Amino acid sequence: MYKELAELALDYALKLGAEYAEARLETHTSNSFLVKNGVTELANFDKTIGLGVRLVVNKTLGFMAINTLDTSEIKKLIEKSYRLTKASSKLKEGVEFSHNKSYKKTYEVREKIKLENLSIKEKLKILLDLEKEILKLKIKVPGRFLSFTDDLVEKYYINSEGSRISSKIPFLNLFYYLTVQNNNNSMQRYWQYGNTGGYESLKKWNLNENIINEIKAMQNTLKYGKKVPTHNLDVITSPEVSGIAVHESGGHPYEADRIFGREAAQAGESFISEKMIGKRIGSDVVNLVDDPTLPNSYGFYLYDDEGVKARRKYLIKNGLITEFLHNRSTAATMNLKSNGSARANNYDKEVLIRMSNTFMMPGDYTKEELFEEVKNGIYIKSFTEWNIDDLRLNQRYVGNEAYLIKNGKILYPLRNPTIEINTPALYKSVAALSKEMEFHAASCGKGEPMQGIPVWHGGAYMLLKNIKVH
Amino acid sequence: MLPYYIKEKLEKEKIDDFVIISHDLDASQIKFANNKIVKTGTEILRDISLFIVKDKKIVSTSFKEFKDRAITPASENLYKKRADEVINKLMNFIKYLPGNKNYNGIAQGPFKYKKIEDCYDQKVLDLSEKEAVSYVENAINIAKKSGGKRSGGIFEYQVDNISLITSNDVEASDKLTSLYFSIRSNINKLASGHETSCSRMLDKLDIENTAIKAGEIAKLSKNPKSVEPGEYDILFEHLPFASLLNNVGSASSIFNVESSLSFFYNKLNKKVASPIVNLIDYGNLPNGLNTIKFDDEGVPTQKTTVIKNGILKNYLHNTSTAKRYKVKTTANAGLIAPETTNLFLEPGNYKKEEIIKKIKHGLYLTNVWYTRFNNYFT
Repeated sequence: MYKELAELALDYALKLGAEYAEARLETHTSNSFLVKNGVTELANFDKTIGLGVRLVVNKTLGFMAINTLDTSEIKKLIEKSYRLTKASSKLKEGVEFSHNKSYKKTYEVREKIKLENLSIKEKLKILLDLEKEILKLKIKVPGRFLSFTDDLVEKYYINSEGSRISSKIPFLNLFYYLTVQNNNNSMQRYWQYGNTGGYESLKKWNLNENIINEIKAMQNTLKYGKKVPTHNLDVITSPEVSGIAVHESGGHPYEADRIFGREAAQAGESFISEKMIGKRIGSDVVNLVDDPTLPNSYGFYLYDDEGVKARRKYLIKNGLITEFLHNRSTAATMNLKSNGSARANNYDKEVLIRMSNTFMMPGDYTKEELFEEVKNGIYIKSFTEWNIDDLRLNQRYVGNEAYLIKNGKILYPLRNPTIEINTPALYKSVAALSKEMEFHAASCGKGEPMQGIPVWHGGAYMLLKNIKVH
Repeated sequence: MLPYYIKEKLEKEKIDDFVIISHDLDASQIKFANNKIVKTGTEILRDISLFIVKDKKIVSTSFKEFKDRAITPASENLYKKRADEVINKLMNFIKYLPGNKNYNGIAQGPFKYKKIEDCYDQKVLDLSEKEAVSYVENAINIAKKSGGKRSGGIFEYQVDNISLITSNDVEASDKLTSLYFSIRSNINKLASGHETSCSRMLDKLDIENTAIKAGEIAKLSKNPKSVEPGEYDILFEHLPFASLLNNVGSASSIFNVESSLSFFYNKLNKKVASPIVNLIDYGNLPNGLNTIKFDDEGVPTQKTTVIKNGILKNYLHNTSTAKRYKVKTTANAGLIAPETTNLFLEPGNYKKEEIIKKIKHGLYLTNVWYTRFNNYFT
């Protein structure tokens, strides 16, 4: 797998004079299929392999990426990177890295049913079967965009401090975009399923049943949905909606590179600052974590792309701001050790602070008990459009499948109920959480050039008290 | 050499249609934040992508495993062996796919390509590291003088050599340079200005005025107040309006129209905008950042009127989709989904200051964050 080239690159960067260097060799072997309105538009298979190298020259960070895996080409590009980085040190930030332990490890996510053991026909059948199930319904679904991808990612990471980490992680993803029509009205739903591991995950997705139920619910909303009166109400969010909220206003503002203004022109900044560690941002029951180590999760890894061992991070613990997501340089700024949140989606992308699996920890109530707490309220089961500002302070979530609740019972569907709220108000309104948890897949975008990274978000059902809904 | 070997092999396999596109990209980047350079980037990417069709079954893949930049006699056999493996896998895929009944072929060549001005600039390749850094340094200083305190952004410059061959007698090549400068200047977290400049030619990249504008907008945005909900006239700067236009461009692709992901569904020749809106997809725009001589099937790029006097005049097509709708291709391949090139909103008759004078109760919008849809269909 060209490992010797990674070693060569590292040695050469140090020989030129870099204070620090690391190399990441990465291979992606993927298959994907696209079925649009019943027609197999395209099948694709791909293998990308390349080398990314980071080096520090005069306390300035440089990055190079190459897929012509030849000794002389790699050396030439390292020289170019060295020159550009050295010239750039005129305006140096003064990068420092935290002291983190180096590891020599090999790990993989096992597949019970290997990606390579499912035939092309069987993979395509996943989408064609779903298409058949949708067409059986007596519901007009004029837009049916279905795609499926499997991707085996193999990485070899080394750095000048002695880290040598090999990993092999298979990813599965299904994405769909549906348009349901009733007379002249329509609703749309897009969502995805994602896991690491083998094809055994497909059974757990329960795809056909879930998606059919979503279509029926949209039809129901189109026929019988009412507008929610603008009012202060209690809101129950499903794990899907809890998930988008904790991802956007719980995970993102805790990314330390945003906090320190490093991504201002790309991803934005954060209303959170260093001084806020220990301050209250939510009710006592709020425990919001990011954890890459959940088995078979879509955001899974055991060592990040700086070689730091991954662990669970409590961003909010008992309602208090506790920890940020760090890479080695932001951690050094705060005299901490990195907590392993540095990721890149391929060899040719910059390592940035990213989420992995971000979720609201469970509470003491069953889902039924949460509903029993609500005299006047709404239940938002899925969302459509959402939005948030660049500081991650003001946000809105628009319900897709949603219902009015009266005295603990669901009464009727609602058309696009919307909550607009700021982040502290959101987390302070969390009155109770369910014991049940779910996780949902997403591709989180960040960086310039943009890179989408696989993540899960989700957690418990949340009961939010007295929220303005319109 | 490798694309021609692949071509020969595909012809032997009696593939109905194929397109082979090669890229050889050399890119550099300087990222800055808080008035400091936080990262440099350099990249070399070689890529040969294949699109093949047999019995209306469509498969795509790419060849991305390279040992060297220029294939030598010594490495030729290795590449041929790899190409054979890829082609065998392609043939295996085809066996198990159903045909795409909507597919109607690719463009028949050959074509002649006119030179498009201002698409390649040797100065971009000759740009020294010192010069590149000085552009960033000057921009930071200019933004400070204009009102911003701390600036962040990106300076990117690259060259791409592209070649294309198809089963239908098309052979094309182009070499393109491009530059992009983005700067966001903050006074504090709540007050900032953002501006960008892009060009294919170094001398036409206007970093100075870009930095001035970012600083000036930052100064204007000091001490922001809340806005009462209501109706306003809005003056859009080009940066946020480009974000909206991008969505209009996507909506004009026939792929999105057919996927129910376009608000232009069933709107051809109907009013979709005010009568002063004239929007063009301009694939051969001199110095356009997305300008290239040919689309993904080798058809010479062109100007296509999307909206004329507020009326939707054309969807964007490739050869296959155009045949289905009995129109001509608009040279927007995207072999599966036609794509916009450069979206050009024709100018009007007013200066910016005159528009501001006309607004009694309005907002001046200089940037947007996320633009999302509840329902693309409506």
